[in-house]
Amino acid sequence: MQDSGFEPKLVGFLCRWCTYQGADLAGTSRIEYPPNLIPIRVMCSGRVDSSFVIDAFSRGADGVIIFGCHPGDCHYQEGNYKALRRYTLLVKMLEQFGIEKERIRLDWVSASEGERFTEVVKEATAQIKKLGPLNWQKVKETYI
Amino acid sequence: MKPYRMHLMVCAGTACVSNKSYKIKKVLEEEIKKQGLEDEVAVVTTGCNGFCAQGPLMVVQPDGVFYQLLKEEDIPHLVEEHFLKGRPVKEKMYVPPEEKMPIPTMDNIDFFKYQRLIALRNRGLIDPEKIDEYIARDGYNALVKALTEMSPDDIIREVKTSGLRGRGGAGFPTGLKWELTRASENGEVEKYIVCNADEGDPGAFMDRSIIESDPHSVLEGMAIGARAIGATKGFIYIRHEYPLALERLNKAIKQACEYGLLGENILDTGFNFDVDVHRGAGAFVCGEETALLAALEGRFGEPRPRPPYPVEKGLWGKPTNINNVETWANVPIIISRGSKWFSEIGTETSKGTKVFSLVGKINNTGLVEVPMGITMRDIVYKIGGGIPDGKEFKAVQTGGPSGGCIPKALLDLPVDYESLTDAGSMMGSGGMVVMDEETCMVDVARYFLTFTQDESCGKCTPCREGTKRMLEILTKITQGEGTEEDLQLLEELANEVKKSALCGLGKTAPNPVLTTLRYFRDEYETHIREKKCPAHVCRKLNVYTIDPEICVTKGHGCGVCMRECPEGAIAGEKNKPHRIEQDKCIKCGVCYEVCRFKAIYIQ
Amino acid sequence: MVKAILDKQSIEVEEGTTILEAATERGITIPTLCYHPLLEPYSACRICMVEVEERGKKDLRTACNTAITEGMVIETSSENAIRARRMNLELLMAQAPGAEVLKEMAFEMGITKSRFPVTDETEKCILCGLCVRVCEDVVGAHAISFVNRGADRCVSTPYGESSEFCISCGACAYFCPTGSISLEELTGAKIVHTELPLGPSTAVRVPFMQSIPNVPFIDAEACINFKTDGCKLCEKVCEPQAINHEMKDEFIEVDIGTAIIATGYELLDVSDMQNYGYGRFDNVLSALEFEHLCNAGGPTGGKILLKNGESPQSLAIIHCVGSRDKNYKRYCSRICCMYAMKFAHLVKEKTDADVFEFYIDIRSFGKGYEEFYNRMLEERVNFIRGKAAEVSNAAMVPEEEGKLVVRCEDTLAGFIRRIPVDMVILCPAVVPREDVSEVGKLFGVTLSEDGFLKELHPKLAPLSTSSDGIFLAGTCQSPKDIPDTVAQGAGAAGAVLSLGDAVYLEPINSVIDEEKCVGCRICIGVCAYDAIFFDDEKKVSKIEETLCKGCGACVAACPSGASTQNGFTDAQLLAEVEGALI
Repeated sequence: MQDSGFEPKLVGFLCRWCTYQGADLAGTSRIEYPPNLIPIRVMCSGRVDSSFVIDAFSRGADGVIIFGCHPGDCHYQEGNYKALRRYTLLVKMLEQFGIEKERIRLDWVSASEGERFTEVVKEATAQIKKLGPLNWQKVKETYI
Repeated sequence: MKPYRMHLMVCAGTACVSNKSYKIKKVLEEEIKKQGLEDEVAVVTTGCNGFCAQGPLMVVQPDGVFYQLLKEEDIPHLVEEHFLKGRPVKEKMYVPPEEKMPIPTMDNIDFFKYQRLIALRNRGLIDPEKIDEYIARDGYNALVKALTEMSPDDIIREVKTSGLRGRGGAGFPTGLKWELTRASENGEVEKYIVCNADEGDPGAFMDRSIIESDPHSVLEGMAIGARAIGATKGFIYIRHEYPLALERLNKAIKQACEYGLLGENILDTGFNFDVDVHRGAGAFVCGEETALLAALEGRFGEPRPRPPYPVEKGLWGKPTNINNVETWANVPIIISRGSKWFSEIGTETSKGTKVFSLVGKINNTGLVEVPMGITMRDIVYKIGGGIPDGKEFKAVQTGGPSGGCIPKALLDLPVDYESLTDAGSMMGSGGMVVMDEETCMVDVARYFLTFTQDESCGKCTPCREGTKRMLEILTKITQGEGTEEDLQLLEELANEVKKSALCGLGKTAPNPVLTTLRYFRDEYETHIREKKCPAHVCRKLNVYTIDPEICVTKGHGCGVCMRECPEGAIAGEKNKPHRIEQDKCIKCGVCYEVCRFKAIYIQ
Repeated sequence: MVKAILDKQSIEVEEGTTILEAATERGITIPTLCYHPLLEPYSACRICMVEVEERGKKDLRTACNTAITEGMVIETSSENAIRARRMNLELLMAQAPGAEVLKEMAFEMGITKSRFPVTDETEKCILCGLCVRVCEDVVGAHAISFVNRGADRCVSTPYGESSEFCISCGACAYFCPTGSISLEELTGAKIVHTELPLGPSTAVRVPFMQSIPNVPFIDAEACINFKTDGCKLCEKVCEPQAINHEMKDEFIEVDIGTAIIATGYELLDVSDMQNYGYGRFDNVLSALEFEHLCNAGGPTGGKILLKNGESPQSLAIIHCVGSRDKNYKRYCSRICCMYAMKFAHLVKEKTDADVFEFYIDIRSFGKGYEEFYNRMLEERVNFIRGKAAEVSNAAMVPEEEGKLVVRCEDTLAGFIRRIPVDMVILCPAVVPREDVSEVGKLFGVTLSEDGFLKELHPKLAPLSTSSDGIFLAGTCQSPKDIPDTVAQGAGAAGAVLSLGDAVYLEPINSVIDEEKCVGCRICIGVCAYDAIFFDDEKKVSKIEETLCKGCGACVAACPSGASTQNGFTDAQLLAEVEGALI
């Protein structure tokens, strides 16, 4: 696909203990990464309700990333596992609505992984750029 | 039993067996069968008869005719002449030395006449492998009496009043030992009975003979002892070198068990007594009671200091009563015939009899049992038949390597525990070695020390090092290298070893040295000062010389010695006197032996 | 109690007391050889002979094992006793002329020489049996015993072969009075640099001189009792009975409010760095090993020695082994430059060896550090700027024979150098302990990129961690030297103390609206802190606010929307989403 100048809008749910700090570290380390992702801080990835994701898509997000701590490192013990469970079901559900599974992503970034955070964002941005914008209208009309 | 008219008691003790007495028996049986006499004449193999010098031998009962030095080829003639035709064969009878007339019956032969058989009461009269024969001679009667008519305290009292003392060597009052064992932790712990059949003294075979001839006497004695002390387990420690005795012992135990005389509930009295036989492994020191117990327990055969004595802490720490074979053999008859009867034999302090093995320079070598108190002279001359070849008596060594020499001057010494100990010797287990003028007393001491030094367990300094050094000095003296200082050192060393050794072996090892020094010091001095051995035994000190006159006049310079000399040390020509070159002479003595004309003498 | 007469003095002793015990108590000396107070008497040497009159009979007896009986009259130095003693000593002197203890005893008894001929001048064994008795009765290893009878008696293992039962406890050598038995190093090496501990190595010892608590312990690896169930001699001699072999590890549960993690560091294992030859060449040491060597309680008593026992003429100290290295650790280990200089200084103090330091940069950042560096320069320590590439023993010129050659690029001088030295010290990277991730998981502390425990904020909160109440101190957090460690430790303690008694509640905790709650109890299963309980009366779920950590899991799971999180309500978050996508 040609670079049509489309810049995807990504919403990221970042868990306060791990990924948010990792993103902060990316900042203090002055690592450059695309500005497409808007971070929203939650205390734990387990707080992320699946409805938030759908809400984001309905308001114009082209992609959503749920970030959490690495398995075993969740500050609240198991919150990230809950996020994982929800994510698994969510992906299936969204596919049925015609939303490509590449648009919804779950990733683990720890507080010291500033570089990795930027990698994930870069990768997701590039990927969704290729996919193009999400046609929510189409989704709404066809399936909902 | 069949009513035979004649029983042939063939001696089957180890000595006679090794001299083919079993073959003699076989040939006898064949000949008897040939002559059709098998229903009339029985052949019985018995234990050691005692007159070992004259073996193989046989006694014809009921006449008591004594045949000796038997060979297989003598048998057919003997069977035909005596057993068939009734004519005893004079040629095979015993003729005392220096005499011409044979003595037909055993009871008339001096060797037997003066003996008093108590421990050896069944000698030559029973087949040791048949328990019925032992029982027929009142065997196990004493056990019945002890179990049914006497209490353990009664038994101990009897043995005490009999005055029986340990026959193994130390002579400790047996009854007292039993009493002490019984009293130790009475009724609270298991106790043991041990029979010391190690018989380590070289040349001693009293215990061997008792076991080979009459094993049941020992077993019965042990059972009575167990009853008295309160033990239910007995051990017989028999030395490794007695296979025939071991075989007969095992058979006897088996038979006794079958008859309910050993094992559980003996004679239905509720008394249990069980005997195990343990074989030694070639250590003289294991005849010492604490070393014996260590060996029984499977430990290194090493003595331990006493107290505590085995009567308090013996086998596995439990009260244990250890007695010699001969002691045990005396017990049944004391119970049967009473302590009073027994105490009338012997002397004031030494009751009963003692079995001695009479060996050495003596005509009648063998095993004798004599009452305590008999003089040494009687043993040597009456029973022993004196010194062969008309030689002079010099000394008699009693007690084996732990004992000492009794010189001619003390020949009238009564044989009992105290007298022998006072003279510097000891009763020991009963070995008696007779020595004549051709015995070198220094060499005798050296011989015994070689034995004790080899058998020392090595634990304590005085025995381990002391016997080694005493032997060193004695060897030096017999090789002509001894000095006055050596003699002094030897005496000092002997005295100190005697006082500070840990066990009986070490304490008594210096005895041969001390007694020979006491009675034959002059011989030591001759060896040292003149570098000569009066008995010509210490070869290195012999100076062989040829008498030139005799050589020429009688031998005509025959030259035999020159030819026989291995070193070519003799020079000479025919009809001329021969000469020995002393610096070439190795003192082998061959020339001395081969000269028919007695031209060679030792200076 | 038993009454007797000892050397003309009336005495009263407990039943069972031996003559030797009674004599020793009263200051009477009786010489002994095979006796030892911790072992059963053997009475084999026959040196302790004394004259005893018992029940009217006079006799010589050994003092070590003869119990005193009522009315016994004992003369320890009667003529008879002395004569026996002297003869036995003479016999022993002839048997074991090499035994010093015999010569001493002889001197005291006035014996100049033995009248008996000697066979072996070097023989030391007096056959006292102390070694055998210790091995059999105390240690219980049964590795040695007496063999052979009589004068051939000697102490040996079965068939004289190396015994598999010997546990190398050294008890036999310790008890041997003549030095006839000694422990032998199997390899024949004089100094084994790596394997020797800091101090004397008995099984009962204080771990090291500065250990806290500074109390002795029993090293189960070395203790004989743990191997053979025997010995326990220490228990016998301890008067306050303070020794207990049965003690087991106790696991105690302690309720704690806060924790400070101070689990320390390790040095990088440099054995697989082929180019430095650690573990392959003799005399290549890692920094801690060299510390051991220099320590006065160390294997050489503080002397700097090569493996063959000689003093080195030249030394190389290589910095940054594994640090500042993209193949191993990228970070700087911070402490090595300074301790390397300390080593150089110690070497100069203790020997007159030449010292070569191979560095990339000298990091002498602390108080007095730069001054110390200058001092080293004055002490003629050779600093070469250039990381050492290789240590080898392949000599290319005669001067390099038998030496370790350090090859490096001297970047200041501009050429490759080969420097032959006797000893090489490596400064390995400081790394976190092997089990650091388990420790982290235990306390809920993650690891930072370099593998050390992660502090809350590298600049602003270096002592705290993301778990409340868990603090870090020392090198478990990052490499640092002593002043910094002490400061951090004090700081962590201060942080703990300033926590006080109050419980701080999360302001962002979750709350359940009773009206909306349908009692499905999904939230109870989801809560990782068991903070939600079911009210049986009202049939609704309730959150215990002191336990709630505010993760929001129950909020996301609640189907009826009864559970909300303060500060992170659905409305708030959705508003943020809206705001993000304008």
